[in-house]
Amino acid sequence: MKSLGSIRRDFAPWLDQAATPFIRFEGVTKRFGNFDAVDDLSLSIFEGEFFALLGASGCGKSTLLRMLAGFEAPTEGRIVLDGEDLAGIPPYRRPVNMMFQSYALFPHMSVEKNIAFGLKQEGMARGEIAERVDQVLKLVKLETYARRRPDQLSGGQRQRVALARSLAKRPKVLLLDEPLGALDKKLREETQFELSDLQYQLKTTFIMVTHDQEEAMTMADRIAVMDKGRIVQVATPAEVYEAPNSRFVADFVGNVNIFEGVVRSVEGERVTIETTAGFDVVATSEVPVAAGQSVSYVLRPEKLRIAAEPVPGPNVVEGEVWDIAYFGPVTSFHIRLNNGAIVKVAMVNATRQGPLQLTWHDRAYVQFDEDAGLVLAE
Amino acid sequence: MGWRLTKFNLVSLIFGFTFLYLPITLLVVYSFNESRLVTVWAGFSTVWYRELWHNRGLIDAAWVTLRLALISASVATVLGTMAAIALSRYTRFRGRTLMTGMIYAPLVMPEVITGLSLLLFFVAINLDRGFLTVTLAHISTSMCFVAVVVQSRLRSLDRSLEDAAMDLGATPTATLFHVTLPLIWPAVIAGWMLAFTLSLDDLVIASFTTGPGSTTLPMKIYSQVRLGVTPEINAVCTILIAIVSVGVVAATLINRRRMVRQARDERLAAEG
Repeated sequence: MKSLGSIRRDFAPWLDQAATPFIRFEGVTKRFGNFDAVDDLSLSIFEGEFFALLGASGCGKSTLLRMLAGFEAPTEGRIVLDGEDLAGIPPYRRPVNMMFQSYALFPHMSVEKNIAFGLKQEGMARGEIAERVDQVLKLVKLETYARRRPDQLSGGQRQRVALARSLAKRPKVLLLDEPLGALDKKLREETQFELSDLQYQLKTTFIMVTHDQEEAMTMADRIAVMDKGRIVQVATPAEVYEAPNSRFVADFVGNVNIFEGVVRSVEGERVTIETTAGFDVVATSEVPVAAGQSVSYVLRPEKLRIAAEPVPGPNVVEGEVWDIAYFGPVTSFHIRLNNGAIVKVAMVNATRQGPLQLTWHDRAYVQFDEDAGLVLAE
Repeated sequence: MGWRLTKFNLVSLIFGFTFLYLPITLLVVYSFNESRLVTVWAGFSTVWYRELWHNRGLIDAAWVTLRLALISASVATVLGTMAAIALSRYTRFRGRTLMTGMIYAPLVMPEVITGLSLLLFFVAINLDRGFLTVTLAHISTSMCFVAVVVQSRLRSLDRSLEDAAMDLGATPTATLFHVTLPLIWPAVIAGWMLAFTLSLDDLVIASFTTGPGSTTLPMKIYSQVRLGVTPEINAVCTILIAIVSVGVVAATLINRRRMVRQARDERLAAEG
């Protein structure tokens, strides 16, 4: 696979055929009554990976996490962790710890007692417990808060206590259920980097569940996009964004233009697609397609360019500026074509003035390169 | 629109509170009456409180009632709490809905029916009526109240707290003692107090299920009143009212203090 998103990854055990997965879900199904929360799912996760399960609510991602923690038992299939089949092992004997979405801090215990709780259950010596508590408190930069009770902490501090508590036992795998869901936007961005750094520092395998694609993209080594109890795609964040394997993934992750059409001609990798939006697309296809085949052409808004004057060449679409949204780093344009179809264009504001002046109802010309989008044959 | 104290509201208030508290006030005032006649005021005196102290019958009954209330409330609290935990935590067993319904049924059952059925039961199993039978009867009726109180607390308790405890290596038993019970403690105490007061003022069920030598205070008062009210009864009732009032005031103060502390904690958290 080519490098995508300007990132070179040196840590990629999933590409190594000889590597042994650390966690394996093998044909796992979880049924609640007649509802398949998780449907015949197989997945391998490697040691030291920061893995994200991404999906809308009800897609089965939390159920998958709870099965790994031991709160739910699979109806079918098995889960293997570090060579050991987890079937029948209760949650309190599994070498995994979980950070809960609500943090689940014990309100009747101080911060240090919360963190010491798991170590006490292990029967660890008192001195050793104190040492370990200090260590993880330092890790999350909360040394001075040891004696506070959870309701004397702010949301961000509670999140870090929860993290410290789940790391104190040095689990083989740390499970994070919507770890940043309860934080406000600013704090969430800071915490994303902290969490990534922490994971890099500890080399512990992290598995995170989230419905927030940005959270998954910024932190995870790999993302599994889930829908209706199944995994749709497992790939790095850049692959999920730049090379989605289906319309579902393309649409779920990020903003996208999807044009449906029929292949009119094929010359090697170069194909011409007649779209239902009323224009032709000349594109390079990474998958083999034949003339007459129905395909989707997936185009991210920031891969398009916008101009006020007509430009020559193929892949130029004319329309009317229908909507403008200014976000700061980018300005988003909705261009309405003559047949009513909308093309979304995001323009990066690389200069303060911007390259052009457009207003509502101006004529605009949208242009894109042959390799800007992705041909999906479904 | 502001709600001001209009004349109408003032009159409503006076009527309402008079209706509630006038009888009780009269009872308290006449407990300090010098006269033997309950309705004629003859000057302030504490003579009936001294008389009360020498009335063996009333003192014995009070002692029986107190022991009965303590024992039955404690046992009912243990059983009721266990039932509440079982019903709200182990949700996937057959007949749970039926059993949840059955926990509520005794709350609305007329006491006469409960008392009679218990009496028939004790006769059937040939158990002599006395302190044991009335204790069992009170346990069986008040444990439902405890279960309901504790269950409502458990319902509002974040399930993930217990999950977290188990995730951190606590066995189900350790989770119960280190996490669940400490968190539902206020509800357990409230359940105990409810059971205690239920037992303390029960007349109907006790009349059915107790035997000679185990007459409770409400039964004693009721039987004495039938022979004519003496100011001693007023005195004993005044003492009961005093005990209950102290309890209510104490509970309110404790609650107030907790709220003040919580407000302080929240301020502290906001300051970081």
